[in-house]
Amino acid sequence: MDPECSQLLPALCAVLADPRQPVADDTCLEKLLDWFKTITKAGSSLLLLQENPCLVELLCHVLKPQDLSSRVLSFSLRLAGVFAAQEDCFQYLQQGELLPRLFGEPGPLGGAAWTAPSVRSGWIQGLRSLAQHPSALHFLADCGAVDTIFSLQGDSSLFVASAAGQLLVHILGLSMQGLAEGHPSLQAGDWPVCAQKIVGHIEESLHSTAVPQITQALNVLTTTFGHCHDPWTQVLWVRLSPLVGSLLEKDPVPAAHSLVDLLLSVARSPGLSSSSCGLWETLAQTLNHLSPTQAGPLALGILKLQDCPQVLRAQAFVILLQPLACVLKATGQDPGPSDVLDSATGDSLTVDALLSSKAACVGLLCRTLAHLELLQPLPQRPCPWPQEPLLGAAVTLLQLCRGSASPASDVGRHLCALLLGCVRVQRAALDFLGTLSQETGPQELVTEVFAVLLEYLRSPDSSPTVLKKAFQATFRWLLSSPKTPGCCDLEPHALLVLRELLPVLQKRLCSPCWEVRDSGLEFLTQMTRHWGGQAGFRHALLASEVPKLTEQLLRDPESYVRASAVTVMGQLSSQGLHVTPVSPEHPGGQQKSLLVELLHILSTDSEGFPRRAVMQVFTQWLRDHHADVAGDTEQFMARVLQVASQDLDWEVRAQGLELALVFLEQTLGQFHSHCPYAVTPPVAAPAGPLAQALQPLCRVRLFEFAFRALFDCDRPVAQKSCDLLLFLRAKTASSSGSLQESRSGPDVASVEAALQRWQAGDQGQPLGDLEPEVVLAVLRSVDLEGLRGALAEGSDHMEKSPQSLLQDMLATVGVLGENEADCY
Amino acid sequence: MPEIRVTPLGAGQDVGRSCILVSIAGKNVMLDCGMHMGFNDDRRFPDFSYITRNGRLTDFLDCVIISHFHLDHCGALPYFSEMVGYDGPIYMTHPTQAICPILLEDYRKIAVDKKGEANFFTSQMIKDCMKKVVAVHLHQTVQVDDELEIKAYYAGHVLGAAMFQIKVGSESVVYTGDYNMTPDRHLGAAWIDKCRPNLLITESTYATTIRDSKRCRERDFLKKVHEAVERGGKVLIPVFALGRAQELCILLETFWERMNLKAPIYFSTGLTEKANHYYKLFITWTNQKIRKTFVQRNMFEFKHIKAFDRAFADNPGPMVIMPGYCVQGTVGHKILSGQRKLEMEGRQVLEVKMQVEYMSFSAHADAKGIMQLVGQAEPESVLLVHGEAKKMEFLKQKIEQEFRVNCYMPANGETVTLPTSPSIPVGISLGLLKREMAQGLLPDAKKPRLLHGTLIMKDSNFRLVSSEQALKELGLAEHQLRFTCRVHLHDPRKEQETAMRVYSHLKSVLKDHCVQHLPDGSVTVESILIQAAAHSEDPGTKVLLVSWTYQDEELGSYLTSLLKKGLPQASS
Repeated sequence: MDPECSQLLPALCAVLADPRQPVADDTCLEKLLDWFKTITKAGSSLLLLQENPCLVELLCHVLKPQDLSSRVLSFSLRLAGVFAAQEDCFQYLQQGELLPRLFGEPGPLGGAAWTAPSVRSGWIQGLRSLAQHPSALHFLADCGAVDTIFSLQGDSSLFVASAAGQLLVHILGLSMQGLAEGHPSLQAGDWPVCAQKIVGHIEESLHSTAVPQITQALNVLTTTFGHCHDPWTQVLWVRLSPLVGSLLEKDPVPAAHSLVDLLLSVARSPGLSSSSCGLWETLAQTLNHLSPTQAGPLALGILKLQDCPQVLRAQAFVILLQPLACVLKATGQDPGPSDVLDSATGDSLTVDALLSSKAACVGLLCRTLAHLELLQPLPQRPCPWPQEPLLGAAVTLLQLCRGSASPASDVGRHLCALLLGCVRVQRAALDFLGTLSQETGPQELVTEVFAVLLEYLRSPDSSPTVLKKAFQATFRWLLSSPKTPGCCDLEPHALLVLRELLPVLQKRLCSPCWEVRDSGLEFLTQMTRHWGGQAGFRHALLASEVPKLTEQLLRDPESYVRASAVTVMGQLSSQGLHVTPVSPEHPGGQQKSLLVELLHILSTDSEGFPRRAVMQVFTQWLRDHHADVAGDTEQFMARVLQVASQDLDWEVRAQGLELALVFLEQTLGQFHSHCPYAVTPPVAAPAGPLAQALQPLCRVRLFEFAFRALFDCDRPVAQKSCDLLLFLRAKTASSSGSLQESRSGPDVASVEAALQRWQAGDQGQPLGDLEPEVVLAVLRSVDLEGLRGALAEGSDHMEKSPQSLLQDMLATVGVLGENEADCY
Repeated sequence: MPEIRVTPLGAGQDVGRSCILVSIAGKNVMLDCGMHMGFNDDRRFPDFSYITRNGRLTDFLDCVIISHFHLDHCGALPYFSEMVGYDGPIYMTHPTQAICPILLEDYRKIAVDKKGEANFFTSQMIKDCMKKVVAVHLHQTVQVDDELEIKAYYAGHVLGAAMFQIKVGSESVVYTGDYNMTPDRHLGAAWIDKCRPNLLITESTYATTIRDSKRCRERDFLKKVHEAVERGGKVLIPVFALGRAQELCILLETFWERMNLKAPIYFSTGLTEKANHYYKLFITWTNQKIRKTFVQRNMFEFKHIKAFDRAFADNPGPMVIMPGYCVQGTVGHKILSGQRKLEMEGRQVLEVKMQVEYMSFSAHADAKGIMQLVGQAEPESVLLVHGEAKKMEFLKQKIEQEFRVNCYMPANGETVTLPTSPSIPVGISLGLLKREMAQGLLPDAKKPRLLHGTLIMKDSNFRLVSSEQALKELGLAEHQLRFTCRVHLHDPRKEQETAMRVYSHLKSVLKDHCVQHLPDGSVTVESILIQAAAHSEDPGTKVLLVSWTYQDEELGSYLTSLLKKGLPQASS
């Protein structure tokens, strides 16, 4: 501990112990505790207590009957636990009988303070920290803490109840650690006392008829088996599995969710799943006993297991597919040749669950779709995968939700009535449909997929979130359309779809909802990125109004849309899909070039997003040697850097440095490193003399931009500039031998003076034209490494220091009454 | 048993990180999704893992409602929707939807730029999150689904702040968010109708404070600013750019105009400018005065206040006024707590030479305002959030005493469960209604009336019909239920004579009823049948067998008690 902090600590402890002094806010106490945790992790707690007796005094003081704030009491309990985690410190605190007084009956446990959840939470967390060694176990047994923990499992506070369960798991694990290696005996009498007590409690709870108690026991077991795979856990499972199994005999199965979690946790544990206590039979039995809604997560969990009997997997898959099979059957569709779906259709329980109410129907379908969506990309997913019926089911669901399906059966009509206009199912089905695009299907079905997607994209009833998902699913399906080998162009069918799609997109780009316009633009960006170079796509796009509309959206009232339009336009232009009719002969009548338009946005747009997007487009253009840029790169760079340096948004300035780096790379030659910020010795020196190579950089005033950015008030900008200059310095170091440095010249001095002024926060005058020699000299004289080190610290690192925290807590004393807790 | 459950994950006996889970009639709603200014790690956001142990958040939660754009109410939203994975609907008002991304971007800037945090939500995530928002109008009833509906009410506090009523069937909860019951210079006062919710969840920041007159505070503020400026000094007001900045700008602007002052007033460029833009855009959300004068002069177009340019920055001068709370770990907090020496980078120590004033301009309802709102909404119970435990305790007692309702103040993580008695609509048959009408009683909505009929529950519907119709509809035969009773009479005469005596007695006593002596010797009074029989063991005693239907239960009971007293001697 710093001597400064050591000095402040007694005063702070005195303040904390004084009930008349309210503590500013509990974040201070949390931070204080964080600090003690760091100190005790790094060194001896005993030494800390011996050197700072005020800490023990504080712990003693809080025990005195007084009107102490529950926050301070809770803090003290947690603090004591942190100290007592080290065994020697534990013994030290035990000598003064401090721990039993804090955590035993005489302490807050028996007092009025116990009604505050923060005190109960502090008590649990204190014990959780303390329980690290055998002495702690004895202590827990002696002071009867375990019984209290049992009762806290049912606490009214979720936080306390959950922490109590976690603590039991921890104590059980700790007490079993002492047991000899190998399989411990099944005889309860051979187990350590604490463990016996906990296991006994679990058994008792599993016998109970109260669902909360069963849930608590199951949760403790789930966490235990999830975290610990020691041999004793196998013995424990062998002992408890009959009891767990007996829960299945009850109707309805109590605490079904927790039971599912436990069984899956056991199945995932390598030692337990292989043990011969009928786990697979229990899982199969559970699948049969649970309601369709409860069985879904279990089925998914089983299918995700690496090793599991095939029969069980098949059973789980049938359960998972049942709701969709019912939908197919109800709408008079043949579930197809797949045995799995065929066997899934007959379940009346699922039909009942689906039709019981709208909420139940929507819930079951959404969960099923989400489960299948998770399963689809996994390598262990069932094989064969019923792609066709699943596609059919997703399409049917989407049709049911739109009312465009007309099922003949009663069940189908009922389903249709339940699902009509249901946005939740629409969203889930569109997500699922998108996932299914990773595999294809028969052409007729794919045609149906596109038809339903177009139906959604066209529909005036589709909500913005549904439209966004419909766009995403459409893109994924276009991407997955079968391609000619070696060609990434859109296949003819997809092109047909595209032709139908573009008028829809056109309409959506004019939507009054900005969310829809933006999703449309994002969709267009994705398409152009993939097929911008392909003749079919280009032709269809250019024949549509979409590029023109996109250009109009550069002036959209919503900044998010303007930013997306900038990105699309940049891309269209890169791909030659946006051609400005430039006619030098008629300067008055010509349209503004996109470059000019984007520069205008960069200089004038009031929002950051479009300006950031412009910078990204410019960087990409420079990389791609875009015609508009390549014409006069230096003028382009000079103009953009000048505008970017004035920008109030730090991300625009940071983007400016990104742009500068690309220019630097192109001017000085290619670098072999892909990470431009990694300072590696350069392999390729510029072709010509260095001064000549640096000239263009000087002409575009890149150095002034970078030097100014070095002292930017926004940290990432300064960091980026620092990295860029360090990189340049390393790059030029090996080849600067031939260059005459004018280190002592007046120009260097004036630049250095300007840098100092900038560092002091002064804006100052522009530097004017710099010579390469001056730049190199300045590069060497600035302590870039030191600056980089300083920038690595957060801007609030001074205020975050422990010393600052202690000062703040002390300073608040007395002021608090005046400036009472306020907010925004 | 139907119930409403409320669990605060944040703002339970605490200010900051507002996040309250409400379960009402099987629907789950999250109210606000805020961050805590005091933490820079995981603790800054509510612990969403407690929402549901099993299953996906999107399946569990029916919707998220954001009351206003302050970060302690919406700062965790992009994290929740884009990183934790909630993909359902988010509701907020139009101004909140417009201003929220600005605040979230600003928060991201502080976290990523100033504090260098990695793994924070990105700008794209903020945009994606905002695209999930469904914007609502004031007093518009929005159907989240077939059963759940929400409605926004004006809350004052900041532009676009709203209180929300959440309703499922006849059960409802009102969440106030932050609100202000007194109008200020640019916003109106919060208002809600007498919606009588089952539960009112109200903020309680100023649970024990009765705020001094606003005018005094404003006068004091202007006086201090004026004095400092007159002395040739400068005043720095580091105010939260959205909300209070506009309030203070209007205050200063008006004062400057009135006093004809020439000293320049600047506000920092960027955020405040953007905020002013939105204030102009959503002028309908401001108070009446501003709306009225808007055509002649937009109050947010200031004459004396100009955008601040970095070039003006030199020594800020002798006074700083803090118009709001500063969290620990900031320079503002240090200055406010009176620290006169500040350690800066590189062990450099700066002496604080300026005068520091704390003048709260935060727009929350005070204790009086909170009581006023409770009175306005007339809830069945009240739950306090967004305040300090000790102060809440005081207010809780006051509410319980004054309104005779239960008041709760759960800590974070604690669940409050309120049993409710849902009212279930029942359809009534035309026949039954006509019968009632025939009795000459017209239905009156204000007067509950007792109506006899048979309740039929079919296809999740409830209908009240006449018993005859019920029998017909259900294809059932009528059973007649009769109560029976035996009365022993000391009478040695024959049964027929005893019956005759009974007849004469009843005829004389029950003058308004139809008493008959039937040929078989039995006596009837309305549906009541009396037969006399000999006692098997005692010939001097006769047994009267009395039976009656439930319709004549009162009369039956009366008759039996009459007969038990015996027959009059005179007739013997």
